[in-house]
Amino acid sequence: MITVENITKSYGSGASENKVLKGISATINDGDYVVILGASGSGKSTFLNVVSGLEKADGGSVRYDGRDITKLSDKELTKFRKDNIGFIFQQYYLLPNMTVEKNVRMGADLSGSSNYREIIEAVGLGDKLKSYPSELSGGEQQRVSVARALAKNPKILFLDEPTGALDEETGRQVLDYIGKLHEKFGFTVIMITHNQNIAEMAKTVIRMNSGRIAEVYENEQQKTAYEIGW
Amino acid sequence: MVTIKDSLKLFGISIVICCAAFVCTLFINYRIDLVSAKDTISGKEAVKMYDAQLSTSTVVCIACGVCLVLTSVVMLVTYIKNFVDSRSKELGILKALGYSNLGIAKHFWVFGLSVFAGAAIGCAGGELYMDRFYEVQNKDGYFTFDRQFHPIVPVLMITLSTAAFMLLSVWFAYRRVRKPVMKLLREDAGAKVRKSKKDKAPLPFLKELRRDTVKGRYSLIFFVAFSSFCFSAMVQMSMSMKKLASETMGIMILVIGLILAFMMLLLALSAVVKGSAKTAAMMRIFGYDDSDTSKAILGGYRPVAWIGFVLGTVYQFVLLKVMVDVVFKDLEDIPEYNFDFKALCITLPLFIAAYEIIMYIYSSRVKRLTIKSVMLED
Repeated sequence: MITVENITKSYGSGASENKVLKGISATINDGDYVVILGASGSGKSTFLNVVSGLEKADGGSVRYDGRDITKLSDKELTKFRKDNIGFIFQQYYLLPNMTVEKNVRMGADLSGSSNYREIIEAVGLGDKLKSYPSELSGGEQQRVSVARALAKNPKILFLDEPTGALDEETGRQVLDYIGKLHEKFGFTVIMITHNQNIAEMAKTVIRMNSGRIAEVYENEQQKTAYEIGW
Repeated sequence: MVTIKDSLKLFGISIVICCAAFVCTLFINYRIDLVSAKDTISGKEAVKMYDAQLSTSTVVCIACGVCLVLTSVVMLVTYIKNFVDSRSKELGILKALGYSNLGIAKHFWVFGLSVFAGAAIGCAGGELYMDRFYEVQNKDGYFTFDRQFHPIVPVLMITLSTAAFMLLSVWFAYRRVRKPVMKLLREDAGAKVRKSKKDKAPLPFLKELRRDTVKGRYSLIFFVAFSSFCFSAMVQMSMSMKKLASETMGIMILVIGLILAFMMLLLALSAVVKGSAKTAAMMRIFGYDDSDTSKAILGGYRPVAWIGFVLGTVYQFVLLKVMVDVVFKDLEDIPEYNFDFKALCITLPLFIAAYEIIMYIYSSRVKRLTIKSVMLED
C-alpha cells in the first residue's frame, strides 16, 4: 500500500517561488489501477515524480508498506526503484542504437528475469525483436517501452501521459495492452493523463487542480480501452 | 544563427593550432636561417650537425604540423556536425523560410576565428621563445649565424591556416545543411542509428551498452586514442630528450604533449557524456546504480586509451631510434639510444592516475544527469 501524507513541493524561491504541490494526501492500494487526472500545470507530473521517488518532496511523507521513501538516500532510492518500480514516459526514451530485444533487456537484466521474450510477445511485437526503434511506429515504440518496464517485474507501474504522443487508434492499443497486462500480472498502475475519457479505465481516479487534490472517486465499472471515448 | 560566441567553444582547436604554430614557427624560422648560413659552415662535425638539424627541422615541421592540423580538421568537422545536428530544427525553419544552403553555410566562417586566435598566439609565442630556442639548438657552438625575423612565416601561417579553416567550415556546413527541409525539421534528423551488421545473440544489457557507446563513434575513438598516444609518446620522449638533446626541448615536448592529451580526452569524454544523457537518466530511473551506469557509458573507451598508450610508446621509441641511429648517426657526442624502461615505469602510473581521475570526474557528471534535465532539453 502507498500512503502519501501532506506532500509539499515548490520550485524557485522568494518572489519567484512556485508552489506546485500544496499538501497532498492519498492512499493507493496494492494492485489498484489509479489515474491521476488534471490539466496542464495542476501538479500531476510533480506528484508522480515525488511518489515514484524521482524527486524529493519539500515536506510530507511517501510510505510504501510503511517505509518512508522520502528519508532514503539516493543509493537506497535507486535500489528501491530497481526492486519495485517501472516507468513509461510519453516520449518513450528508447535507446536508438539497440534493437527491441536489447531495449527490453535493459529492464529484464535488472530483475534477472529471462521471460522478457514472452513480454515482447504479449505486447504484440514478437516479430519485431531485431527491429530498431527508428523502424517502428509511435505505437510500437510505446509498446516496447511497456515491455521494457514490465520485463523487470515491477510492483508498481508509473505512466506519464503514455498516449500523449499517439493517435487514437494506437493510443487505444497501448492502453489495451497495459490493461490486459495489469490484469494478468496484478501490479499497481499509476497513470497521469489530462484525458477525462482515459480516467474511465481506472478503478480509482484522483483529480488534481492547482497543486491540490480536488476529488477522489472510484469508477463503479472499469471500461476497456475500446469502450472509452477519446 | 552562428555567432562568435559559438566559435569560442572551439578553444580546443585554438590550443592545438597554437601548439602547431608555436613548433612550426620555431623550426621553420630556424631552418631558413640555417640554410642561408650554409656557406659559412665549415668543419666536418659542423657539416654533419648542419645536415642533421636540417633533417630534424623538416621532419618536425611536417610531422608536428601535419599531425596537429589533421587533428584540428577532425575536431572542426566533428564540432560542425554536432552543431548542425543539434540545431537541425532551427536550420530547417530557416530553409523553410527561404534561406539557401549557401546562405546558411556561409555564416559558419566564424569558426575559422578559433584558428586565427590559436595561430596568432602560437606564432607570437614562437617569436618570443625564438632566442632561447636558437641557443638550445646551437649549444655546442657549431654555427655562428644570428636569429633573423622572417615576417612571411607568421603572416602566411596565420592567414593561410585561418582562410583554409574558414573555407573548410563553410564547405562542411554546406554539406551538412544540404538536406530536405522536412528531414532537418524532424527531431532526430541528426541521429544516425548504428546498426549491428551481424544478427548476434544479445549480450547482457550492460555489456551491450558498453559496446554501443563505442561502436561507430570513430571521431571519439580517434580522440581518446590520440589523447593517450600523445600522453605516452610525449611524456616518455621528453624524458629521453634530456639526455639526447636538452632539458628545454624536453620541457617543450612535455608541455605540448600534456596540453594535447588532456584537451583531447576532455573533449571526447564531454561528447560521450552529452550523447549518453538520455540513456544514463533512464538507467538511473530504472534502478541501475551509479557505478554500473558510469562503467557502461565510459568503460568502453578504456581499451581504446590503452591501445593509444601502447602505440605512443612504440612510436616514440621508433622515432628516437631513427633520429639517433639514422639522422644523427655521424655525430660523435650523441649517446646510444635504447628503450627507456625508466621513462615507461614513470609514465605508466602517471597515465593510469590521470586517466582514472578524469574518468572519476566524468562519472560524477553522469551521476548528475536526471530525467528532468533530459526532458527539459526535449
